[in-house]
Amino acid sequence: MKEEIAKIGENSKNEINSCKDLKQLSDLKVKYLGKKGELTVVLRGMGSLSPEERPVIGSLVNQVRDELNELFDKKEKELKQEELKKRLETENIDVTEPSKKIELGSLHPITQVIGEVEEIFLGMGYEIADGPEVEKAIYNFDKLNTPPDHPARDVQDTFYITDDIVLRSQTSPVQARVMENQKPPIKIICPGKVYRSDSIDATHSPVFHQIEGLVVDKNISMTDLKGTLEMFAKKCLGEKTKIRFRPHHFPFTEPSAEADVSCFVCGGKGCKVCKGEGWIELLGCGMVHPNVLRNCGIDPEEYSGFAFGFGVERIAMAKFGIEDMRLLFENDVRFLKQF
Amino acid sequence: MKASIEWLKEYSDINVTPVELGDILTMTGSKVETVDQKGNDIKNVVVGKILEIEKHPNADKLVVTKVDVGTEEIQIVTGAKNINVGNIVPIAKDGAELPNGVKIKKGELRGIDSCGMMCSVGELNLDIADYPGQIEDGIMILNRSFEEYLGEDIVDILNLKEDIIDFEITSNRPDCFSIEGLGREVAVSLNKKFKNPRGNLNKLKVEDKKSIEGLSVDIEAPDLCYRYIARVVKNVKIKESPDWMKRRLKACGVRSINNIVDITNYVMLELGQPMHAFDINSIEGKHITVRRAKNGEKITTLDEQERELDENNLVIADDKKPVAIAGVMGGLNSEIENDTETVVFESAVFYGGSVRKTAKKVGLRTESSSRFEKGLSAENALRAVNRAVELVELIGAGEAIDGKIDVYPTKQEVHKIKLDVDKINNLLGTKLSKKEMVDILEKLEIKVENDVAIAPYFRMDLTCLADIAEEVARFYGYDKLDSTLIKADTTLGVRNKGQKIIKKIREVLVNSGLSEIYTYGFISEKDLEKSNIAEDVKKYAITLQNPLGEEFKLMRPSTIPSMMQILATNANKKNQNVKLFDISRNYKNTNHQVEDGEVPIQEDILTIGMYGDNIDFYVLKGIIENILEAINVNRYDIEKEKNNRSYHPGRCANIKIGIDTIGTIGEAHPEVLQNYDIEKRAYIAEINITKLEKYSRENKKYVEIPKFPAVERDLAIIVDEEVEVGEIEKIVTKKAKKAKKPLESMKLFDIYRDEKIGENKKSVAYALMFRDKNKTLSDDEINVAMDEIIQELQKTLNAELRK
Repeated sequence: MKEEIAKIGENSKNEINSCKDLKQLSDLKVKYLGKKGELTVVLRGMGSLSPEERPVIGSLVNQVRDELNELFDKKEKELKQEELKKRLETENIDVTEPSKKIELGSLHPITQVIGEVEEIFLGMGYEIADGPEVEKAIYNFDKLNTPPDHPARDVQDTFYITDDIVLRSQTSPVQARVMENQKPPIKIICPGKVYRSDSIDATHSPVFHQIEGLVVDKNISMTDLKGTLEMFAKKCLGEKTKIRFRPHHFPFTEPSAEADVSCFVCGGKGCKVCKGEGWIELLGCGMVHPNVLRNCGIDPEEYSGFAFGFGVERIAMAKFGIEDMRLLFENDVRFLKQF
Repeated sequence: MKASIEWLKEYSDINVTPVELGDILTMTGSKVETVDQKGNDIKNVVVGKILEIEKHPNADKLVVTKVDVGTEEIQIVTGAKNINVGNIVPIAKDGAELPNGVKIKKGELRGIDSCGMMCSVGELNLDIADYPGQIEDGIMILNRSFEEYLGEDIVDILNLKEDIIDFEITSNRPDCFSIEGLGREVAVSLNKKFKNPRGNLNKLKVEDKKSIEGLSVDIEAPDLCYRYIARVVKNVKIKESPDWMKRRLKACGVRSINNIVDITNYVMLELGQPMHAFDINSIEGKHITVRRAKNGEKITTLDEQERELDENNLVIADDKKPVAIAGVMGGLNSEIENDTETVVFESAVFYGGSVRKTAKKVGLRTESSSRFEKGLSAENALRAVNRAVELVELIGAGEAIDGKIDVYPTKQEVHKIKLDVDKINNLLGTKLSKKEMVDILEKLEIKVENDVAIAPYFRMDLTCLADIAEEVARFYGYDKLDSTLIKADTTLGVRNKGQKIIKKIREVLVNSGLSEIYTYGFISEKDLEKSNIAEDVKKYAITLQNPLGEEFKLMRPSTIPSMMQILATNANKKNQNVKLFDISRNYKNTNHQVEDGEVPIQEDILTIGMYGDNIDFYVLKGIIENILEAINVNRYDIEKEKNNRSYHPGRCANIKIGIDTIGTIGEAHPEVLQNYDIEKRAYIAEINITKLEKYSRENKKYVEIPKFPAVERDLAIIVDEEVEVGEIEKIVTKKAKKAKKPLESMKLFDIYRDEKIGENKKSVAYALMFRDKNKTLSDDEINVAMDEIIQELQKTLNAELRK
């Protein structure tokens, strides 16, 4: 019996060693260690042995079984390793083949600029306000200190629906509406579509976008306006941006200013974008005219405020290097996809 | 407004270059458009004398000349025909520069050396009208007397140097529409003394008369004419103006006509008050009335155009007819003629708004009207008329008659503003002393008496403290203002619900591969028709009074035509795969809002338009479902819509929440596609974001992940083709609910058609998943529920269970 066991041990070891795959290995395991496996059969035959022989043979069988188990495990590991290796080899791919993806779309440059400006002002505690595009003339003009005979009301510049209803020529009517409905402190920006009776060409469009800002509170000063716009310009156009105020005139602000920023393309040295001047006219601004505050139900003796406004297209064009405004509204997908 | 430095120097010393002056004035509020340094662009062009002219040996059309240019004799080859030996001509020497950018260099012409060029009037950028006798296509022949200047710079000899600054004048500063006003700004900006050369006019006393030489004046419309002054000049000799006057007019861009007309223009430029001069004999009845025109009344203006007027227009009239459109232009009938002997100078002030409207109506925006429309000072009008008479005598154009006719019904108010130093400092964010402020104000001739600032007559724009603050700030220096941050309570900057929704929608769409477009709100009648927009939407369109053109006449009641237009643009450019979205508004006059002076309905609309590979109804539907999920709208129905003619009747659905239709999606109607020349099928959607907002829940709530296992069942049935799978789903959901067996999900995994199933039939297969969150469901109880479901499907849909 000892020889038989030794033979099983010998045979199985040889077979395990020459085993080529996991299936074969598991068959072998059944053949030797399974319920009807050779070693098991031997173990079962132990009943016929003498009590003296039993423990000897028993421990021999156990020893061989342990050895075999270890060998099976070892071989299994080996074969698994090999199999994995083989699989990894066959699963080699060409990573330079094209990807499978849902192509991303794009946000329009105007949305991107508005979004960027919104983030900056949201961060400074401003809310975003909007109002009607088809607007009452009283909000577009009268409340903003633009009396009936003011040149800005000319049919030449403003689209009229009736004498009392216009397409807003600026986003300022939103400011008037907010002031009427909200007590100071007011801190808002109003982005939106505006309409002016300009023919379409490379730098003009009858529809364009503005962002205006308004702050009304106690003790708001012109230096606050300058500080706010300086911060905005740095965040929006780069930390090195400088801002310059020049006196100007608007009916709804007094004192009024135009603000230039150091050219964000050349840094102020002078280039095509800034026409060699080093400065780019960015926006109009000023302290809210006391008449405007009064017209909107805010006491100018108690409160003061500042307002500013600029065109989105001009900034988008300068920022993205777009030379013809018509591209923004033509919406050729080859243009849109670039942003 | 153009101003020459030479003229400005009469008002202030100027010790900076024209460009520097431009920069300084820009920073004090007189914005400079351009600085034109005339004559600077001509270099090394001198006076020369032609000594010899010989034929060119190698060219018939050229000649070889010898020219004396003072220091030497040079040889020039030219093709000019109008030259003779002895002519004095401008010579561009080797290295010369001309205004057109040409640089002259020594060279050879057909084998003969040529060391320069003779110049024409045009090549020196001179106006042929200023040099009578010269010809366009020949060399400029100078007066013989210039022989003594041989070799000298032509710029000096012809006095071509002129520095001109062009200012943008804002509407609040009509006083700066004059050399005097700009001169004052220059003086204060440079911190020089304002020389006030016309200060004498303020003190001049001229006697008032009812009539002069039989002339009398009445103002019938005192609301539109605040003052009318007339002075009369006799023994007038119409001739050319002196050179100095012509030169100044030219620098300001005004053409010289004759001495009397030039005086009116000169005074307008100098003092900012438009003047008018007319022949006293052309005034019938010698009686001037300032009145509203009669409807349909006609006048032929100085530019020989007949203009029709109405009662909103103000005219200067004699007893029979209008002789001028007030503030805009004189009439041809009262023009100064060469034989005019007695001239009336009119200096009047009209209501700016009326002049502006009249100028617009008759289509004439003149130097005069553009000043009047800003609102002029009635006090200045008197100075102007006296200045005109002074100039008549100065240049010997005639003799002044003493006295003036001065009708002045509404005296100009003096604006007095309490000077509150603290308030100004608060508004500006400065810490200026009262003295600093007063110093600035007094330089600007704003007197301060007992803490009251008194605006001078020419500064009618100063009406409140903010105006005074601006004056202080301008000359304190806008660039000296600090940058500070608002010292106030913190405010919260957050997007509101609607803004958040729009942001989310944009994100989903971009991630789904769509590109955003921007469209105009304008549209035409034709666009609405091309898109088959329904009558009951069309009728809400809003018509513009003054559209840019027929194609921009309406404000769109639907965004579909705008999207179709952009799809067509892309299709026309052969762009293959186009997926677009637009978030913008529609404009609907649903209830006569516009006629009632109210704003119409304006909703935010998401419009989608797509065509190309792998795009169909279900792709579009998926995008919409993702959007609704992203903004947390959970309950909605997608219902077939057969009657929206913009869409394919078999491939269109409404998105409904309860009874509220919040959008429509589908394939564009083939007719619509054809109208836009789009060959591929296109898919469009319109979603009303404004309506959607109220259905979007802002807060999401966590639902516990299930602990108990689900029971799965497949359900495959055969139904008639016209049965919508939605109906099946509704029945299954309803029955499961009735059987109190929680149906967790129901996924359609197959729709199958073939002959075995039968014609007009389809097999629909679902994977159902039941799960109770509180216990494990048994197979038996689900079997019972499934039986009920199947029975109901058989009953209502005539469904057949597929084996």
